[in-house]
Amino acid sequence: MQTAEKKIRTVLVVGGGVAGMSAALDLAGSGHRVHLVESGYDLGGQVAKLDKFYPTDHCAFCPLWTEIRRCKESPSITIHTLSRVEALEKSNGGFRAVIAKSAPVIDPELCICCGRCETACPKGVAHPIWEHAYPPVYLIDRNRCGDCRTCVDACPTKAIGFERQEQKSELAVDEVIWSAGFTEVSLAPLKEYGWGTHPDILTSLEFEAWKAESGENKGAILRRSNRAVPRSIAFIQCAGARDLRLLPHCSAVCCMHALKQAQWVKRRNPDIHCVILYTDLRTVGRDYYEYAMREFGGNGVRLVRGRPSLIYPLPGGDGIAVKFEDTSTQKREIWKFDMVILNGNLKPTLSSQAAGEVIPELDGEGFVRRTAMSCGFVMEPSDVTESAIQASSAALRSITDKN
Amino acid sequence: MARIGILLCNCFGEIGRTVDLKSIKARLEADPAVDSVTIVESLCLPGDAAGAHSLIRERGMGKVLIGACSPYGKMEFVKLGLAKEGTDVRTVRTVDLREGCAWVHGKDPEGATHKAANQLDMEIALLQNMRDSKDIGIRVQQEALVIGAGPAGLSAACGLARLGFKTHLVDRGSAPGGLLNVVTRTYPTDEPGPEKIGSLIKETGKNPLIRFYGKTKVSAVKGYAGDFKVSLAGPVGNTTLRVGAVVLATGARILFPQGLFGYGKVKNVITQMEMERRFATGAIGCKTAVFVQCVGARNAERPYCSTICCPLSLKNAMRVMDENPGAKSYVLHRDIMTPGSVLEAYYRRALQKGVQFIRFDADRPPEVRGQDQVSGVEIFDTISGVSRSIETDLLVLSTPFIPDPEATALARMLNIPVDKYGFYAEVYPIHPMETRNDGIFICGTARWPVSSDQAIAQGEAAAIKAAALMGNDTVSALTMSRVPGGKLGHAFADAAACTGCGNCVAVCPYEACRLQRTGNRSVSRVIKVRCKACGSCVSVCPNGAMQMPEQNYRAVGEMIRRAFREVR
Amino acid sequence: MSAERGNVKILVFACRWCGLIGADAAGRKRIELPASYRVIPVDCAGYVEPDAVIRAFASGATGVAVLGCHVGGCRFNDANHPALKRLELLKTLLDTTGIGGNRLLLGFGTAHESHQYAEMILAFHKQVEGLPSMASWMTSVASD
Repeated sequence: MQTAEKKIRTVLVVGGGVAGMSAALDLAGSGHRVHLVESGYDLGGQVAKLDKFYPTDHCAFCPLWTEIRRCKESPSITIHTLSRVEALEKSNGGFRAVIAKSAPVIDPELCICCGRCETACPKGVAHPIWEHAYPPVYLIDRNRCGDCRTCVDACPTKAIGFERQEQKSELAVDEVIWSAGFTEVSLAPLKEYGWGTHPDILTSLEFEAWKAESGENKGAILRRSNRAVPRSIAFIQCAGARDLRLLPHCSAVCCMHALKQAQWVKRRNPDIHCVILYTDLRTVGRDYYEYAMREFGGNGVRLVRGRPSLIYPLPGGDGIAVKFEDTSTQKREIWKFDMVILNGNLKPTLSSQAAGEVIPELDGEGFVRRTAMSCGFVMEPSDVTESAIQASSAALRSITDKN
Repeated sequence: MARIGILLCNCFGEIGRTVDLKSIKARLEADPAVDSVTIVESLCLPGDAAGAHSLIRERGMGKVLIGACSPYGKMEFVKLGLAKEGTDVRTVRTVDLREGCAWVHGKDPEGATHKAANQLDMEIALLQNMRDSKDIGIRVQQEALVIGAGPAGLSAACGLARLGFKTHLVDRGSAPGGLLNVVTRTYPTDEPGPEKIGSLIKETGKNPLIRFYGKTKVSAVKGYAGDFKVSLAGPVGNTTLRVGAVVLATGARILFPQGLFGYGKVKNVITQMEMERRFATGAIGCKTAVFVQCVGARNAERPYCSTICCPLSLKNAMRVMDENPGAKSYVLHRDIMTPGSVLEAYYRRALQKGVQFIRFDADRPPEVRGQDQVSGVEIFDTISGVSRSIETDLLVLSTPFIPDPEATALARMLNIPVDKYGFYAEVYPIHPMETRNDGIFICGTARWPVSSDQAIAQGEAAAIKAAALMGNDTVSALTMSRVPGGKLGHAFADAAACTGCGNCVAVCPYEACRLQRTGNRSVSRVIKVRCKACGSCVSVCPNGAMQMPEQNYRAVGEMIRRAFREVR
Repeated sequence: MSAERGNVKILVFACRWCGLIGADAAGRKRIELPASYRVIPVDCAGYVEPDAVIRAFASGATGVAVLGCHVGGCRFNDANHPALKRLELLKTLLDTTGIGGNRLLLGFGTAHESHQYAEMILAFHKQVEGLPSMASWMTSVASD
C-alpha cells in the first residue's frame, strides 16, 4: 500500500489533442480527476485530421481514436468540447476557472446524423462533420446561413436551435496543464512564397486535406487549379519558420512531414517528380533518418538543399516557378513545378490571444514555458512522440510536489 | 439459459423506412430463445437510456440484443448511458442495422430486411453460445524496480517515490548519475551536469521510499505485469524482489571512432566525452577548435541521428571561445540538428557569437592533417564549392550513442524487443515509454539517443505510466487492455483436447501461451495477464482445443449457418 | 429472394478496427451496395481460422472476405501478419479443392475509407457473380 495519503487532485487540461489526451489519461490512470477542455467539436486535435501519420505511414485517426474513446469511457475525465477558458485566477491554493461552452446550432447530443437538414437546406450550409470524427454529427455554417429555418422542422429530434446561448461553468481545480497545440500562420505577409496567388501554391496542411483518402479526391493526387495529375511537386521547407520576420523558431515537424507527403505521393503515383527544397533536413527522432533516406527503387524523392527566393505562378498559366540557389552546385536555378507545397508556418496556438480567452504567460516566441505546466507544441515544437512524453511528464508534475 | 430481450430502434425512420421492423419483430418473437421484442423510436437521446434500462429490468432480460446504429457512432453513448443506469453491458450485444444495412441498401428494402433478419439471428446465436472467460485478479505489488541510475532512472525513481511507491533503484556503477557526472556545462542553460541531477540524487538519498543498490545487476526476471519476481546480483550477494513494474533506464554507450580521422594515432583528436573530461579538470587552452559532426553516424552502418551532437558542439564551441579570447571555433557539419524553439535560439546564439559553420557532404568528408599532433583539417565546403584548409590544434569528433552491449541480453530477460540497432523498442509512437510486455517501461538513451533534459522528462513519463499499472492493490486480467471497451476475453485451452503441438506458443504476439508438463503430456496454458484476445492461437490450433469463450467455435459455427438463412 | 442476388452470398469477417471503419464511413455517405453480404465482426483478423472459412463455404456462402488492418498497423502486435500468410496459404488450398481461391478476398488495410470499402465489396460481388455455381454437393450440406 502506498505510504503517502493520497489526495485526489483535479487538473484542468486545456487542449484535447495528443498531448492533452495523454496527460488526461495518465492523470485518470493515477486516480485523479480531469477537466479536459477542447475548443473544437471533438478531441483529437491536429493529428486526427491528418491523412497519414509518420513514421508508420498509416492512417492518423485510428490510434488517436483509441485514445479518444478511452477518454470518453473514463469516469474520471470530464470532457468539455466547443469550450474555452474564459477566466482563470488563483484561489484557495489552486485555481478557479470559468469555462465558456459555445452552443452550436445543431446540438450534438440530439443529432442522430440523419442528414435531413442537409437535404432541406436551400443554401447547402448544413454538412456532416469531418470524416472519422466520432460520434458523427451535422454542422451548420452560420456565416453562410440564410436564416430561413427550414432545417429546424426537418430535424426529427428537434436538435436545431438558432437561439442557443453560450453556457458558462465554474470549476475549482488544483492545477492547470496547457496543451493547446499549434495552428497555421498565414504566409501572406511573406510575398515571395506566393501563397494566395495561385490555387496550386498551398501549405502542407492544405495539401494534406486535399490529398486525403477520405477527402474529395478520394486519395488521388491532383492539381487544385484544374484537377489534372501534376507532373511535379515541390516541397518548400522553412516557409515562414527560422525567419526573423515571421517565426524565428524551427517548427520541428515539417521536415518529416514533407518527407511523409512526398514519399506518399511517389507511392501513389511514381511518375510524379517530387523535390524537397530544404535548409537543414531535421530528422531527429526514432528511425526518422532512415525514413528520410528511403528510396523507392531508385526513383525516389529528390532532396535539394536551397531556400527559394521567389515562387510565382507562370504567366502562361501552366505551372509555378521556383527560383532558388542549388547550394551543392552554387548555381541559381528556376524550376517549374505543377504544385508547390509550403512547410513551416506553424505557431503555438496560444501565442495570439482570442477574444474572451485567457492565456498563460508566454516567452518571447509565444511558447508556454515551464513557469506554467505545459506540454506539446504549445510548449515547444514537437511531434507526436515528444508531445506524449511531455504530457506524461506534465501529468506527473501536476500531481506531485518536487522536494 | 437466460432469454434474450431485443430492442429494435426505428431511428425516426432512418432504419424503419428501409428495414421492415414489424416483420422482423414478428419473426423474432416466434424464436423460443427470445423473450421479447420492442421497437423504440430512439435509444440515444437524453432519457432514452433510463427508459431502456427500466425495460430491461422490468422484463428481466438476462441478455440484451440491440438492433440500431453503427458501433462507432451514437451506439457508444447508448452503451455508456446504459452502464451509468446500472446495466451490465457485458450482456448487451449490438447489431448495426443503420450504417451497415439500411443506409447502404436503401434501394433494396427486401434485401436489407433479409440481411437485418439474418444479422440479428446470427447475434442471437452468439448470445446463446457465448461463455464468459474466467477472470483472475492479480495482487499488484506496490513496489517498482528502476534499472539504471542516470538522469532517466533517477527521474523515474523520484517520480515513483513522489507518487508513494517504494522504489528499488539499481545501477551497475557504484554511484548514481551516469555520464552526466563529468559534464560541467550542459546546454542550453549552461547548468553543470551534476547540478541538473543533483537535486534528484539528493532526493534518492533522502526519500525513504527509494533504496539504491550500487554495483548491482539484474540476473533474472520472471512473472508478469503487477507481479514480477526479479533476482539481483550485487556486492552483498543475491536478492529477490517482487515488484509491480520495471523501468528500464540503462542508458547507452558512446562510439569510439577508432580509425576515423586519425583518432588513436594523432594527438589532440578527441571525442566529445574526452573534451568534457578535460573541461572538468580545468579550462582547455587552444587557439582553434574544430568539431566534426556525424562521425560514425548517419551512415550505412548507423543510419540514425544521435540527437545531441549538434547542440553539444555548439555548446563546446562557444565555451572554447569564452575561455580563450581570440580563439576560433569551427563546426563542420552535414545538417545542423537544432529543431524547435529553444535549440534554434541556441543555434542563433552560436552564430552571433562567431562560431563558424562549414557544411560538407557525406561522400566527401573532411581530412585530417598532422602526423604526431593534429595540425589542420582539409574540407570541401559544399555551400561555396571550394576546398578550405583550416589550421587547428584541437579536433573534436562527435560520435553517436550506441546501445549498451548488455542491453540485448537484458531485453531478452524482460521479454521485450530491441530494434535493429539494439535500442529497446516501444509499442507505438503514441506510447513511447511502453513496451509489448505490460509492466516493463523504457526511457532515456537506452530507448533512443536523447538529451539529459529529454531523459529526465521520459523518466517522469515512465513513472506515471508505471503508477497507473500499480495504482490498485489488485487488478483483473480482463482490464489489462488498451483496447477501448476492454478485452474481449481470454483464450482458453481445453487440457483434455490439447495435444501439446505448440502452434499457439509460436504464434502468440504476447508470448501468453506456454506449454506445461502434466504427467507425460504437455498441454498449453494461457497466461491471462498477457493474453489480449486477438485470437491468433485459436486459429492455429489444429483440433479446436484453444477457444475464446466469448466467441467460441460453436457460436461462430452457428452464426455462419444462420448467415444466409431464408426468411419468409 | 431475387435471382440476381441468388448466387452471391458473401460472408465478411471484419476486424473491429480497419475492417469496419470503412463500412461505417460508407454507410454515412449512403453509398449503395448489394445486400449480398453478412458481417461477422472479430477483434482481429488473426482470429479467423481456415476452418471457419471452409465451414462458411459448406454452409452456403459463395464468397468469403477477411478484412483486417495494414501489415504493420495491427494493434495486437502484428498478429495480422501471420494471419495474412495463413489465409494466403488457404487461398492456394481452395484452388486445389475445387472451391477456387478467387472466392476468398483478403483485404488487409485496403478498406478503411468509405470509397475503398465500397469499391471492394462491389468488385468482389461482381467477381463472385461471374463465377460458375459451386458444386451441388457443397450447397446440399447446408441444412436450411
